[in-house]
Amino acid sequence: MNPFKFIWGMFFRLFPCPIRTVLRRVGNPGRQSPVLVTCNFYITVRRLIRKLDDMDVWLLIADSKGVNVWCAAGGEEFNTHSVVSAIKTSGIQDLVDHRNMIISPLSAPGVQAKEVQKQTGWSIRWGPVRIEDICAYLKNNQHRSEEMKRVTYNWRERLDTAIGPLFPFYFVGAIGFLLFGQHLLLNYLAISAATFFFFMLGCPWLPGRSGLTKVIVLEAILAISLVAAEIYVTPNTFSIRADLIIAMVMLFIYGSELGGLAPTMPSDLDPFLARLGIGAVGNVAFAGTVRTELINGLRELTYYREKCVSCRSCVEICPQGCWAFDDEKHAVLTKKEKCTACRACIVQCEGEAIKAEAKS
Amino acid sequence: MFSYIFMKILESRPRSYDRLMNKVSRGRVVSVKQAVVAELIASGRILDIGCGTGELAVMLIAQGASVDGFDINPKMIEIVRERIVTQNLESAFSVRHMGVDGMDGLPDSYYDAVVSTLVLSELSDDERRFAFKHALRVLKPHGLIVIADEVVPRKTIKKLIHTMIRIPMLIATFLVSRTTTRPLANLSGELTAVGFTIEKETRSHGDSFAIVVGHLAQENQI
Repeated sequence: MNPFKFIWGMFFRLFPCPIRTVLRRVGNPGRQSPVLVTCNFYITVRRLIRKLDDMDVWLLIADSKGVNVWCAAGGEEFNTHSVVSAIKTSGIQDLVDHRNMIISPLSAPGVQAKEVQKQTGWSIRWGPVRIEDICAYLKNNQHRSEEMKRVTYNWRERLDTAIGPLFPFYFVGAIGFLLFGQHLLLNYLAISAATFFFFMLGCPWLPGRSGLTKVIVLEAILAISLVAAEIYVTPNTFSIRADLIIAMVMLFIYGSELGGLAPTMPSDLDPFLARLGIGAVGNVAFAGTVRTELINGLRELTYYREKCVSCRSCVEICPQGCWAFDDEKHAVLTKKEKCTACRACIVQCEGEAIKAEAKS
Repeated sequence: MFSYIFMKILESRPRSYDRLMNKVSRGRVVSVKQAVVAELIASGRILDIGCGTGELAVMLIAQGASVDGFDINPKMIEIVRERIVTQNLESAFSVRHMGVDGMDGLPDSYYDAVVSTLVLSELSDDERRFAFKHALRVLKPHGLIVIADEVVPRKTIKKLIHTMIRIPMLIATFLVSRTTTRPLANLSGELTAVGFTIEKETRSHGDSFAIVVGHLAQENQI
């Protein structure tokens, strides 16, 4: 284990944590062994290798700019070219007799299976969503149960996905208080941590569909408390005001990030920034992307029944299980309300029957 | 040549890429390209790996060469295509959108030279090996390969100074562009390993930049 990369990958996940793109042997793979393809985010690779401990597989680490599969595929950093390049340049073609690769279905918004096959001759088999299921999937003749196809966001996943991206805010705040308000440092540390655990553990039970709407109730309670403290608490102290304001600010940060962290929710922050006219920060684009426009209602998911070739990609790949098949073997968007605008169905549809059409 | 590290930020602004890159490098990028052109006085057909905005290709065409270029960045390709039309370069310059993994589709023994400037340090080890292997294949028997890129200095003290100066720039670039470049540790060695013979290696900028010229080793020549 690389301790620096582990700490960086765990607590500063807002930034990439890349490792070398390379073909790795896990166990003692042979010419018929499965080929797994994943991103080059340190934490993902480490977890995958630990889970694959008793298996014999080829692990092909493809370039995702050091970002996890879901985020990199959504941001098109883990894309068709990443996988094609890894297949062609790693030498894997000379080491196995088959031409099948297993890849996380969370890569579907970026990696187009049909194009990979066209360019390399390799077929993509969508594996399980969670790393925890990879051994069961391999031992079960590469069969996915329904649970293996869909994302969840249980309390462990909420803490795991939230600590990494939110810790830098916590850290920067702590440095700020250390330099400019030492007398409030302990209050800040305690209140930020408490609100974090309260919000991340309790968010499924808070009203609202998005992170920002979920914090509205809490912000309102805190705002009322702030006013009440001004009126009724005598003597009112600076500390009480500061504590309540810290809680409000931190909850707003957690709330605005939640949609981006949760695979079960559409992103809040990007569409919000796009509405404000902030198109991009650095190389990360907010405005003008299909995903953002789908969330902001500028586009809508449209299905052209006559173009459907019954490939079932939409049903297999949607992490939320939004698509089903009718008796005539055509797709039906049965759970539109659960769509997170990840675009996986659009990218993978073999008949190009699913599109994100601009609203007139 | 430390300013090269900012390339990753400037790549997101392809329309002003050449101008900004020359500005931050204080004209050194142009000098590097001129030095590469100087190695290739003879006209002929040249492959430009990672052609970017086509600046090097235009210099080569001015010397009488014809150039096939490719780049993975679609925005760069768009600019090159505009450049080809506006500068009437259709007969001498063709370009395609692909990465080095697409080099296996190029014809055997077709090019008089293969060039690459400021590209290879962005590639993985596997991609670089693949690119060199196919560069060897596509070159004519007496063809040349000319690579200009950021490298790790050879002496420990220079290596240390290079790392120390590079770190803050690397952090700044990484925070803005979420990616960076990796200086090559053994460029000539990698070329030799696939079958090139190194004619010369010119180091500059505190030993941190190299222009390497090679040709097919005798046993690889037809």
